Amino acid sequence: MTAHTPAGPHPSLDDPSVRIEDILREGIVEAVPVGRTERQAEFYTLRDGEMLLNMGPQHPSTHGVLRVVLKIDGERVVDIDPVLGYLHRGVEKLCENADYHQTICYMDPLEYISSLFCEWAPVMAFEKLLDVRVPRRAEYIRVIATELNRIASHVLTMGFFALDLGGLTPVLYGFIERDEIMEMLASLTGQKLLFNYMRIGGVNGDLNHDFMSRLGDWMSHAAKQVEANAGLLNENEILVRRARGLGVLDADTCLRMAVTGPNIRASGLPFDVRRSHPYSIFPELDFDIPTRNEGDCLARYLLRVDEVKQSLRIIDQCLHQMPDGPVMAKLPRLVRPRPGRAFAAVEGPRGMYAAYVISDGTDQPFRMRIHDPSFVHLQLVALLTPGNLVADTMAIMASLDPVMGGVDK
Amino acid sequence: MSMAVVTWQRLRPVGRILAVLIPVLVALGLVTVGAVILAGPIAVGFFADNLPLGRFIAATAAIVVLTIPTAFVVIYMELKVIARMNLRIGPDRVGPFGTALSVVHGLKFLSKEDFTPTGVDVQVFTLAPSVVFVGTIMTMIVVPFAPGLFGLDLNVGVLYLFAMSGLTVVGLLMGGWASFNKYSLLGGLRSAAQMVSYEIPLTLSLVGVVLLAGTMSLNHLVLAQSGSFLDWFIWKQPLAFLIFLIAGTAEANRTPFDLTEADSEIVAGFATEYSGMRFGFFFFAEYVNVFVMSALIVTFFLGGWTAPFAWPFAVSISGFDALGLGVGLLIAVPLVPIVGTLILAAPFWLSSKITTLQALVIGFILFNVLAVGLLLGYAFVSLDWVAGLFWFFAKSYAFVFLFIWMRGTLPRVRIDQLMGFAWKWLLPAALINIFVTAAAITLVSK
Repeated sequence: MTAHTPAGPHPSLDDPSVRIEDILREGIVEAVPVGRTERQAEFYTLRDGEMLLNMGPQHPSTHGVLRVVLKIDGERVVDIDPVLGYLHRGVEKLCENADYHQTICYMDPLEYISSLFCEWAPVMAFEKLLDVRVPRRAEYIRVIATELNRIASHVLTMGFFALDLGGLTPVLYGFIERDEIMEMLASLTGQKLLFNYMRIGGVNGDLNHDFMSRLGDWMSHAAKQVEANAGLLNENEILVRRARGLGVLDADTCLRMAVTGPNIRASGLPFDVRRSHPYSIFPELDFDIPTRNEGDCLARYLLRVDEVKQSLRIIDQCLHQMPDGPVMAKLPRLVRPRPGRAFAAVEGPRGMYAAYVISDGTDQPFRMRIHDPSFVHLQLVALLTPGNLVADTMAIMASLDPVMGGVDK
Repeated sequence: MSMAVVTWQRLRPVGRILAVLIPVLVALGLVTVGAVILAGPIAVGFFADNLPLGRFIAATAAIVVLTIPTAFVVIYMELKVIARMNLRIGPDRVGPFGTALSVVHGLKFLSKEDFTPTGVDVQVFTLAPSVVFVGTIMTMIVVPFAPGLFGLDLNVGVLYLFAMSGLTVVGLLMGGWASFNKYSLLGGLRSAAQMVSYEIPLTLSLVGVVLLAGTMSLNHLVLAQSGSFLDWFIWKQPLAFLIFLIAGTAEANRTPFDLTEADSEIVAGFATEYSGMRFGFFFFAEYVNVFVMSALIVTFFLGGWTAPFAWPFAVSISGFDALGLGVGLLIAVPLVPIVGTLILAAPFWLSSKITTLQALVIGFILFNVLAVGLLLGYAFVSLDWVAGLFWFFAKSYAFVFLFIWMRGTLPRVRIDQLMGFAWKWLLPAALINIFVTAAAITLVSK
């Protein structure tokens, strides 16, 4: 293969009289794009023996529509360039033209694996702007619903981690738990994926009998079931050998790259928004922040197993301490908060999910900014992957668990 | 309008098809009969003079024909077993319990566009699936299915096997290189590296078996293991069995060694650019390969077609002479099905929920099942090759199940782990196995 010094396409590609078939017949031609920035110019300059491999946006294991360009030397990844924006819907801009209540339903499809967290952060920010006090029963319901959603998200992540390492079965076992939880939340919220359940000052609807009976059934076997599903993988020699010591993320890098969520806790830093910046009723609840020190893919996977157990603990406590009362604060139909700004963050299954809202006194937000942990974590792919093999790229990406709906917004 | 045109227009589509088909078939039949009458004596004389050649041609034709049902069965098994392991139901739409799904797969491949992308090396791209397919089914020629039921008894059968499976690598590499796709290229290179590496322990693990049996002919290897299941080579060569099983899994491109078509990494590997029946050839070859690997494991280590234990009931029905019944046979042949159907239908007819017609249908089906079962049992007891086929397929499909089970359970290994395992563990183990076996044989013979 020839070296392409200065980065650029094949010279005759610009000539309209030359047919692409003729060029291809001459031999394999790398149509290298021209780098616009310094980084791109460096990335798209191929040394001898290097090859660009385009993965996505329709690749089986890029978790949605992520496109990554790999620069590979044989099987070894030299450099990696994630290309974003294939799922951009302009949600932040849409929110500026919707009133405060309407913005909530725009939040659901952002991080579609765990929609309730996407609703909670902006709703909390709006409540801060409006100085609303949320009824305690509503807070408890919010915590139960979101922790269920966290479990649903984590079991899926665990399954897809195995799927990207080539194991077919665990993801389907994960889907059993997820489906039960989704059915449960559907009976609570009315919808199965995009719940649209949080409201400014409470939640849309009290706990109902269907939800409670499903939850009781599920809680009776959840811990055992999650343990059994994890048992499929935790002691699998092939999985452990592949994931241990792979993509090690040290604490300094975590802090430098603003990593949050399970990914930072797997590197030994016990940062959890529920404890570090307590919100809702979390100060009253008794739960641990599991951490691991290895910082590799296996630790990130195992940490999620631990978190599922803690979430079950939280749900159990909430069910026992649940107070009576209303689930909505009294609010007018059209809210006009005073001019100002508010920031609210929740601990999502992937990390700190935050909303920053600027109000100009009208019934629509002046500016709304969503901080998504997946976007932050996607930067790590380029940091952790080079030097590993092509197959490891998938393992590292799966263990960081980005959801493209949240990344592209 | 002439008479013929009017008649043609009155016919329905089915009638039109028949109107064309029947004369064509009659003509073909007449031609065949004529050809047999003219060339038959010459051909019979020729094959009587060259019996091995005739046998080879017949066996090859039979194996090529048998390949497709084998692939169908293995594909159906894989879909159904993995579905059960995933707590799914699996195929259940086409045919009873979805058994006809593989046929639909085949028809789908045939009816799809045979697409050749821009920039591929057309000759190599076209040839690659055939090379893989041929390389796979040629291995079946030396496999003994039952006593006397084999294509060819080569005295270098083991060497022939590895030569043929080496051909498969060439086909995969051809497909990967000619496809003009980077995923295909990676898949092809991976398959070359993997199969070349694993062929060495695969071959070396058999040296112990060959030393013990003193032959390379697969027939004689099976005969050397006849007796009870204690005579199988798996007990004398357990290490070789493990090495062969692992390397065979890699050779058949099965999970956890299915790196050549790792769908989460390189989409479909060498088969990415293939569509239609060309992909079908790869697909069939893969599943036939699973069966062939299982058959080889059974042949080398589990006694091939030999029974694991002597048949405990010394039943001999060969003295039974149906013609001895005389005129009674004429009465029995039409009466037995009717009486059997009626007897079997009676308990269902008496049940109030079932109509007479349903009861008769159930009785007829039951009678057929019973009759086929009795016939097969008779054949199993009195015919050597039927019993041999039974044991051979039972053992082989047990290993097919094992391969499918592994696919349902295990993740995939990484390429460096894969190569390291072959060169650092399997190869030394195979060498140690050879030395120990040779030393043991020398000691015992002294």
